[in-house]
Amino acid sequence: MAQNRNKLIELFISNISNSIVHEILEKSMIGEIISDKYRRELTASFEIAKRYREKINPSATPFPETDIVYIKSKIINRVMAELNTRISKGYKNIDLDLVEVLTENALINTKIKRRKEGTDF
Amino acid sequence: MELIGKVSKGSRMDQIYIPKNRSGFGIGNYVVIKPVEDENEIKTYANKFYFYSVRGIEPIKIKIISEVMQIICNFFNKYENIFIIGSFLDKGFSFNDMDILIITEEKISSDLINKDIERKLGIKTHIILMSNKEFIQGLGTDPLYQMALSKCISKNRFLYNIPHIINYKLLDLHLLKSKTLIDNFDILSGNEKYNLVRNAIAISLYLNSKKISREAVDNEIKKRFGLKDINVLKNNLIVKKSFLKEYKLMYDKLFAKILLGIKNGSK
Repeated sequence: MAQNRNKLIELFISNISNSIVHEILEKSMIGEIISDKYRRELTASFEIAKRYREKINPSATPFPETDIVYIKSKIINRVMAELNTRISKGYKNIDLDLVEVLTENALINTKIKRRKEGTDF
Repeated sequence: MELIGKVSKGSRMDQIYIPKNRSGFGIGNYVVIKPVEDENEIKTYANKFYFYSVRGIEPIKIKIISEVMQIICNFFNKYENIFIIGSFLDKGFSFNDMDILIITEEKISSDLINKDIERKLGIKTHIILMSNKEFIQGLGTDPLYQMALSKCISKNRFLYNIPHIINYKLLDLHLLKSKTLIDNFDILSGNEKYNLVRNAIAISLYLNSKKISREAVDNEIKKRFGLKDINVLKNNLIVKKSFLKEYKLMYDKLFAKILLGIKNGSK
């Protein structure tokens, strides 16, 4: 599968966004979900995102700052759009403050961004 | 192989019934019948299984299940039930591993049990442990649980009378997993694609109050995507363009229906 870097980055963004939306929705439904063990076996978006990440250069070191800014803002916009769609339909307890924190964490966990010394992300 | 049975009265001859699903005791075989002298022996042999929608299973599989159950039981002081689910119960030997659901309140590492079974029997198992509360909630709200349990072998009797609850938010969360397929067709394996489609179809059938079983879901997939055989999808031989067009249409409709459900405040 020969795909250019930009295409792979877009696919990475799509999957990471999906996994963040999933995580935030899950957190908004604490008490309602206790039986997700069987479903956890479905291929998770985060795992797919990691597959794409491995194909994007530089694969072992963090991305240049311009890329990080672009990817981060696209993820945040996508996640916010998805969550706002749901809020407008009556979802409650969705913590939008989590979007940035989880995006930062995802970028660090996929080696897009380096963890800052002395911080949580 | 030994079985225990009860002599029952017939009109012309008395008989002893033995289960259709068994290892050994083939049709035409001669057997020896002898009375059970010790009452405790009845309890020892009473470790029969309950079959749900499993019509005809290879005797060797029954033997494997029996040994696997034995190993699992040794890990627990108390368990509610043990279910064998998934492709192991399908005809033939094309399964990857044996899916096992253990309902227990005890906290034991499933890896430990998986490894013990593999060491003793050389069989790969995929064990999921959950409490009774988790199990009942899953069965009441999650179509995938219903599908898995629609065909199973269990250690104890299993009464399937848990009311269906449509929780649109939960279904939204479940459906979100199937969204992955739209953008990632090229990178996903056939089995991964099949699992994601199956998830969405099961949700669709659930919302339409239709029966959810593995056969029903597979038939719906075949019908919707014009497949002659479900293995076309599992073996990753699907035509991308036409498949994705139909899948996206189905996904969007389903998502809109769920959002409408949330908007209407029904749970």
